[in-house]
Parts: sequence; C-alpha cells; structure tokens
Amino acid sequence: MMRAELWKTLRSPLLWVVFAIAALGPLEMSSYYLHVATLALIYVALCSAWNIVGGIGGQISLGHSLFVGAGSLLASALLLKLGINMWVGMLIAAVLSGALGAVIAWIDFRFRLGHLSFALITLAFAEMAEIVAIGWDFVGGASGLLLPRDTGDFFAFQFGGGRGSYWAALTVAAICVLANLAILNAPLGYWLRCIRDNEDAARAIGVGVLRTKMLAMVISAMLTSIVGTVYARYLAFVDPYQLVSPLITIEIVLFATVGGLGSAFGPALGAVVLLPLGEILRGKLGGVLPGLHAFVYGLIVIATIMLSPRGLLPLFSSWLGGKAAPESKAPA
Amino acid sequence: MDELLQALVEGILIGSTYGLIALGMGLVYGVSGIVNFAHGDFILLGMYMCLGLYSALTLDPYVSLIITLPAMTVVGALVYRFVIRPIASHHLLMVVQLTLGLTLVIQSGLLMVFGGQGQRTPSFVEAKLFVVGDIVMRGPHVIACTISFALAGVLFVILRSTDVGRSIRAVHQNARAAALMGIDVGRVQTIAFAIGIGILAIAAALLAPGASIQPSDGLRYTVITLLVIVLGGMTNFVGIMLGGLIIGCSEALGTVYLSETLGGLLPYAIFVSIMLFRPRGLTWGTS
Amino acid sequence: MGYGSVPVLRGVSLHIAKGEIVGLLGANNAGKTTLINALSGMVVPMSGRISLAGADVTRLPAKARVRLGIIQVPEGRLVFPEMSVRENLLLGGINPTARPRRASELERVLDLFPRLRERFSQRASTLSGGEQQMLAIGRALMAGAKLLMLDEPSLGLSPRLVQHIFEIIERLNAAGLTILLVEQNLLLTLRYAARCYVLERGQIVVEGTADAVRSDPRTRSAYLGL
Repeated sequence: MMRAELWKTLRSPLLWVVFAIAALGPLEMSSYYLHVATLALIYVALCSAWNIVGGIGGQISLGHSLFVGAGSLLASALLLKLGINMWVGMLIAAVLSGALGAVIAWIDFRFRLGHLSFALITLAFAEMAEIVAIGWDFVGGASGLLLPRDTGDFFAFQFGGGRGSYWAALTVAAICVLANLAILNAPLGYWLRCIRDNEDAARAIGVGVLRTKMLAMVISAMLTSIVGTVYARYLAFVDPYQLVSPLITIEIVLFATVGGLGSAFGPALGAVVLLPLGEILRGKLGGVLPGLHAFVYGLIVIATIMLSPRGLLPLFSSWLGGKAAPESKAPA
Repeated sequence: MDELLQALVEGILIGSTYGLIALGMGLVYGVSGIVNFAHGDFILLGMYMCLGLYSALTLDPYVSLIITLPAMTVVGALVYRFVIRPIASHHLLMVVQLTLGLTLVIQSGLLMVFGGQGQRTPSFVEAKLFVVGDIVMRGPHVIACTISFALAGVLFVILRSTDVGRSIRAVHQNARAAALMGIDVGRVQTIAFAIGIGILAIAAALLAPGASIQPSDGLRYTVITLLVIVLGGMTNFVGIMLGGLIIGCSEALGTVYLSETLGGLLPYAIFVSIMLFRPRGLTWGTS
Repeated sequence: MGYGSVPVLRGVSLHIAKGEIVGLLGANNAGKTTLINALSGMVVPMSGRISLAGADVTRLPAKARVRLGIIQVPEGRLVFPEMSVRENLLLGGINPTARPRRASELERVLDLFPRLRERFSQRASTLSGGEQQMLAIGRALMAGAKLLMLDEPSLGLSPRLVQHIFEIIERLNAAGLTILLVEQNLLLTLRYAARCYVLERGQIVVEGTADAVRSDPRTRSAYLGL
C-alpha cells in the first residue's frame, strides 16, 4: 500500500517539471545565481537529511554539524594529509558519522532522554566537536584546509566547478529528498511517526524503539556527512568555524521547520526559499550597514512564520490544491 | 588550594546571576510551554541600553534600571502578546524559530546602532574590590550575586503568596482548571513573559558594569541559560539556582585549570554527565 | 457544534430553571462534556444561543461567565496538584466577583467540608479521590457559583462516598444553588435530579421529569446502544 503512494508521488508531473527546471536551469544562469542555487541545493540536501530524525522522527538533533564536519573536514584532511582519494574519504567519513549517530541514538535510548535534553546533549556534543576541530592540526586547526583546485577530474571527486558542482549538489539533494520519500512510505517511516507521536504507545504495540531511532539517525548522519564532503569540495576552502559550528545547525533547523517539518518536500522548500533570500539580502544590503541584511532577514522569518505557522509547504499545497503533507505534532 | 577557592567563589558569584536569568526562562516555559531562543539577546539589549544611557546621560547602569526595567517589561509584554502568542499553540520548534527570528532582529539591530566592536559601560563600583582572607571579589560581581539571590527570593515569595503568583502556578499546573476558575490564561502568560524580560533587564544591569559587550554575545547567554534550565528540571526553583551555580563554577574552574580550549568544554561535559544520570534534571520532590 | 469541523452536538435545546437540579445523562461520548464546555465558554458553538436569566451570554468569554456565577467542576476534578487545599480554595475565589468575600466564603466551605479543614495545608495530590472531589466542589463554591455544573462527580468514587457527595449536592441545592448534573450514573442521577435530559450521539432523545425519563424505554436503549 505504501509502495503505491511512493510511485504515485514519483509519477507526479509537477515533480518532474520542477526537477527538469532544476536540472536545466544552470544552462541559463549567471555565475552568481548559479552559486546561490548550488548553495540552496546543498541545504536542500542537509535539511532533508536532518528531517529524517528531526521531522519524521520528531527528535530535535542539534548535533548535525558534527556530521557535516566529519564529511567536510575529515575527508579533506584524509586527502591532503594522507593522500586518500576523496571518494574513499567520503565513505570513511560517512561510516564514522553513521557510527557516531548510532552512539548518540543509543545514549538517547539508554538514558531515556526527553526531547529538550536530547537537543541540548547533541548541541553539547556539537560544541565540543567544534572546540576539538579547532584545536586539532590534522583537520586543519583554526586555519582550516585548502583543497586542490577543481579541475573536473571525476575520479578525484572533482566536478569542475560552476555547472558541474551544481549538478553534483542537485544529485545529493535529489538523493536526500528521495530518501525522505522512501522512508515516509516504508515501515520505517510509519514506526518513526508512531514513536514521534507517542513513544510509550509505540513501544506498547511492539515497535522496536531503539532499532528504529538508531536506523533513522544512522541514515541521517551518513547522508549529512556525504553532503558535507560535496559541500567541502564546492567551497574548496574548508573552514571549521563555518562547517563545524552550531550556526550551520541553526540554519538547517530553521529552513526545515519553516519549510514544513516532517514532510518530504517541506524542508527542501524551506531551503529553496530561505537560503537564496539570505544570500541575496547579504549581497544587496551587506555593504550598506553592518547587520542590516540580518535584520531584514529576521523580520522576514518572523513574518513568514506568523503568516504560515504550519510551515510553507501546507501553504504551497493549498495553492496547488493538492496533496497535504503529513502533519507533524509537537513533542510532549 | 587558594586558586580553587577563588575560582569557586567567582563561579558562585556569576552562577547566581545565571540562575536568576534561567528562572526568567523557567517562568515562561512553565506557563506557556515555549523556549525563547532570544533570551540571551534580550540581556544584550538591556546591556546596550545601559551603555546608551550612560553615553547620553552619564547614568550608572544600576541607576538606569529606572528606565530600562519598565521599558523592557513593556516591550516584553508587547512582543509576547502580538508576536509570540499567536504562534504559541503551534509546534514548539516553530515557536523556537520565531524567537530565532527575534534573535536576528535584536542582534542585528544592536549591531546597526552600536557597531560590532567590544564596548563597556563604566560604573562607580567597577574598581571596588572585596577581600575576604585570600579571596578577592570584584564589586560588580558581589552586587550581582547579592541582588540575584535577593530577587530570586522575592520571586519565590511572589509566586507563593500573591494572587498573581498563584495564578501563574495554577496555569502551570493545570491550564484548563485555571481557565475554569476564571483565570485569563493568555493574560497570565503575557504577564509571565513580561516578568521574565524584566528579570533580564535587571540581570543586564548587574552584568553590565565594566564588562565588554558585543551584539553576538547573546547566543552565548542563551545557550548557558538552556543548560542551566534543563539541569534545573525546567521549572524547579531550587534546581535552577543550583544549576546556575554549577554552570558558573564549571566555567570558572575550566578557565583556571584547563587550557583555553578545554576550559570552554567543561560546562558542556559536566552538563552531559549530569543529564545522563539524572535525565529529569536536579529536581527533588516536584515543581 | 463541535471540535474542528466535526459536529458533536446537533439541535440541542436545554432549559434550566433557577433552583433546580437538572440531570444530563448519556453514555460515553454522547456529547455531555462538549455541552458543559459550551456553557462554560471553553468551546464556541457553531450556531445557537446561550442565555442566563434572560441575558445573552453566547459571545461572552469563559472568564466573564465565571464572574456571572457559571462554574464548572470538571471531570476528573482537576485540582491543582502541587498546591495545598488552602491554596486551591483561595484560587477558587480569585475572580473579581468572588474576591471581596473570599475570607468569609472560605470559612463557609470549610464548615461544609470539615475534612478539608483537616487537610488544610496538605498538597492536593495527596488527597484521596473523595477528598479531591470535595475540594473541587469547594473551589467552585469559592468562585461564587450560582449555576454549579458538575461533570461526572461520581467517577472513581466508592458508593458510600458518592452517597456523601450527592447528599452535599442536595443540601447545596436546598440552600438555593442551581445545579446541572452531568452523569453516566443513571439511577443515581434520577434519584436526585428533578428533571433530566438524555443525550445520545449528540442529540437529545429523552427529556422530562425524573420519573418520566426513568420509565421511558428510549433511555435504556440510549445507554445500551440498542
């Protein structure tokens, strides 16, 4: 039954139109807008990956910068310091992130953390990771790492900058959104939502809480790490203050929530709307007066939430008269 | 040994104010169930108001409270009533994002008006020192500690023995029953939020003298407050004050005994250790 | 009228005369609590009117209705668990109409419920079910109830306690308090209430004097779903 839902969504013409536009768009874009679009896609991927635990699972993890950091810093360090191919580095970082994610999920289960405790403990881990990364020379310390110039050598994990990087970002974004769709329409998604809405009841009906949470976290962590590697390659300069900081987590959670938690397309929508908004505001107003662009951005975020408190996706769906996203409930 | 004692004393002095600040957040959380991510930024707002009032009227931070306290309390009430309350019934995370928007607005607003470099507000007690045995305590810190404990006590009495305080506790314990008694739950929530922001105005005046501030400091205070409030069991008075002292001391001990980087780690490490073994925080009994 | 877009009550018409005890009966989920919530102002009706002594109170918010003396004793008592008996009662008298007489009302309530005087400083969560029910009623009296609406007061109480509570309810009514009794307990209600309504799936299927309702076959079927 659920499989049918998945195929129905995949066959939706709107989805293919959007994808086509996204895929062919760069043929017409200037390099500035291409850059913004690439960043937006990276965040689509990050937010969608986070959504697996945060939205569908209802577990507010504030530690995902850990996985971004692993994917970006570690893979880059492995390449620069040990000469390991970045594809391999990406996999190593992903496995490590998955393991970390499993540990975090286990801690949550073993110590019966409430939602706020879980959020803060993951935040604590993330802050600690930032401090460690900045002090550890192997991953570049405070000065970061500089990746070799992107010459488009695919086997060296290079995409050629410009359009090539855009399509790489589009690929990971698509993978992450597809992962959401797949999970939502599979037993895993069902169990996650049961746990989200009432963990005790879920346990009572036999849902394997630890196994489910762990699986979700591992998938989310690995995907996030992979995106982190692509992100690092795109930026070429791997700055721990940017990539391992709680700031990136704040952005991810902001976009995912405002877009519409728990649905497959909500976080993507949030990223597509809010990231370019931020970048363009910074571009246009950044030089005028320090702080002005963030001020305006904050006002827009407030206004958006007040106008559409259930997220942007429900707003969108009603315009298109279509499929409502699965409602997410507030944690207890 | 002296070093240890000195660090502990400093930790207690600053921790008492952390506790007070967290009580404000606990009050709001207990009554409306929301976590105000802009909590720390309101403190910065208060501190910058002290700075501004000093520049304009040479008012000592403690004196400028006459203006900042009512001003911020009113601002708090308005912000809650017109921005937060309409959204309060939705997903907690969405409310958090709303307050995140507030963070951006306040932080950038301060940046635009005051600029980004560190500035300090002087005060007549800035240089005063209290010496007890081998322990040296800075004037502003001693005043902050005294007033924090005193204010916490006042808050406790208000909650216990006044009708307003009882209404607040009633809404916290059972909002529906409170409504059935004719209590205006929305108004109580607005009052609680306003009190919370008022507390922050006072805390700002306590923290401002001699301290160098930047608009981006708000996040740090918010995170500290979150750590303290979760340690304290969210709404437990004693637990929260205790949590404040623990975080204050971890900070102080960290900077003295460990390197710069590891020192910053200590409060988090201690937080994680305590939470793992007492997931409900430092509560005993209830409420 | 209902919650969200699902109507719960349909075409319900209720009349309570001053000084009466009126019973509202029905099985679980018949809509009794919805009706009482509407009277309290906790739920807004999609259509219809509510009037008290001739004045239209339909648009009046909940807190204003409390001031007029429309007080609900909710299902499950809902006492404030961490507060003492004293504080619960004081909170009962917090609304502006009741506040001036709070001290004297407190004495009156404690006279009515000596058990509460015994437990005066104890936390409400430590009271037994029967004592909590007394506390909830006492709290409602402190609020200056003119129309006292009780939602399932017998729930979870032993027969002897239920008897005691209902005797008190009768005494209050004899002293002039108008009472709306919402109960699943058919026989008990029929004994104390002068008139009754029976709700089934959101509609009134039987109404009349207690005797009439008792002997009406539709009453039984409403409960057994036949």
